[in-house]
Amino acid sequence: MIARCRPLLGTYVEIRARDSTLDCAAVAIEHAFAAVEQVQGLMSFHARDSELSRLNRAAHRRARRVHPWLHRVLRLAARLHRESAGLFDPAIAPRLVEAGLLPRPAGAPRPAPGATMMDVELLEGSRVRFRKPLWLDLGGIAKGFAVDAAVAMLRANGVRAGAVNAGGDLRVFGEEAQLVHLRDPAQPARVRPLGALRCGACATSGGYFTDGARWATIDPRGGARPRTGSISVIAHRCAVADALTKVVALAPASLSRALLRLYRAEALPA
Amino acid sequence: MKWQPFLGAPLAALSVSAYATQYFTVEQAQARMFPGAKLAHVPLQLDDAIRGQLHDASGIHEPFNEDGVWKVDGGGWFIVDKVVGKHEMITYAVSLTASGAVKDVEILDYRETYGYEVRKPEWRAQFTGKTAADPVKLGQDIRNISGATLSSKHITQGVKRVLALYLLVLSKQ
Repeated sequence: MIARCRPLLGTYVEIRARDSTLDCAAVAIEHAFAAVEQVQGLMSFHARDSELSRLNRAAHRRARRVHPWLHRVLRLAARLHRESAGLFDPAIAPRLVEAGLLPRPAGAPRPAPGATMMDVELLEGSRVRFRKPLWLDLGGIAKGFAVDAAVAMLRANGVRAGAVNAGGDLRVFGEEAQLVHLRDPAQPARVRPLGALRCGACATSGGYFTDGARWATIDPRGGARPRTGSISVIAHRCAVADALTKVVALAPASLSRALLRLYRAEALPA
Repeated sequence: MKWQPFLGAPLAALSVSAYATQYFTVEQAQARMFPGAKLAHVPLQLDDAIRGQLHDASGIHEPFNEDGVWKVDGGGWFIVDKVVGKHEMITYAVSLTASGAVKDVEILDYRETYGYEVRKPEWRAQFTGKTAADPVKLGQDIRNISGATLSSKHITQGVKRVLALYLLVLSKQ
């Protein structure tokens, strides 16, 4: 098993791979990091030249073609937006900017009040159009997608077992179960064993380790921020686990249960 | 996907465990970042004025590792430094092109010290028995830590300091 770690996506991304030869594993890990960098280059809200920033500036004027990965993430986000009765909404970005959690996007038009993910048209040919000016932030899902993309790249390069962890959003694969630990939300310098996971993902949302202990999950309906503590979700894919932590933090118990069942996922409150 | 949670048994004891991973030795990182190149160690002695400017450029209080600079034969630099966060200590390497642009950043080692929560022995035995087909060793294998995102802003500051060092010192060598 070899492991590498690089600062990407605003956090530490660690990739582990087991393979018959260390050289093969090292090459596969390079490809996996390249996939993570590509997701960062496509979906960063902070980077002016990302495809997402270009959409935020111009997709209300005409449909724009985007990379298939961005289109796929937007389709999953739109689906989760419908299924969660609007609780998962990447169009929440203006509120995050207002709260000082995201920088103001340079050159983007003022977003239309009340714009939601419903105002995003996902068209044939990997094209996207906004029905009105709006700002999308994929912070609640893109990190998980980057983990999935890295795992796919490891597998495509012949790695049979491994793990990818993007600062706490992780996915493991291989024949053997791997132990998953949770950072204690009350005391981040402590961890505890959470369970054993084979071929699956775990993501956690919580208020700790953010500047000034602010929680970056905001209820699109305008209510108060959710309770403190952390919520972990186990799912097949890390993008789904990542997104569902936000939904479970905000949704009434019945809706959470229905969504978790739909995605064959489990929530573990801390 | 197969998930077997540890169910909520009361805490029995607390022991301390360190999560530490070494990804690269300095030599391995040099070989990856500058394959086949010859590197010459360049020990630095920074005066207070330079130290002050490095601090202003990066916001980092800890002194720069004056023993961590190598010049690459044929152009470029290899720098090893440390950052200390609230809970973590990280050694990282930065490679620069001959004109002082960042080529790569690699984490060499990452260290966090944890208290490790150990639950009741009978409960642990139950877990071990159930997963005979999926052997997992409790307490020995802290690898996959989930949690709200750990920020890498200390490394961002560290890279800023390396770039300031290049402008102030290395580019004049």
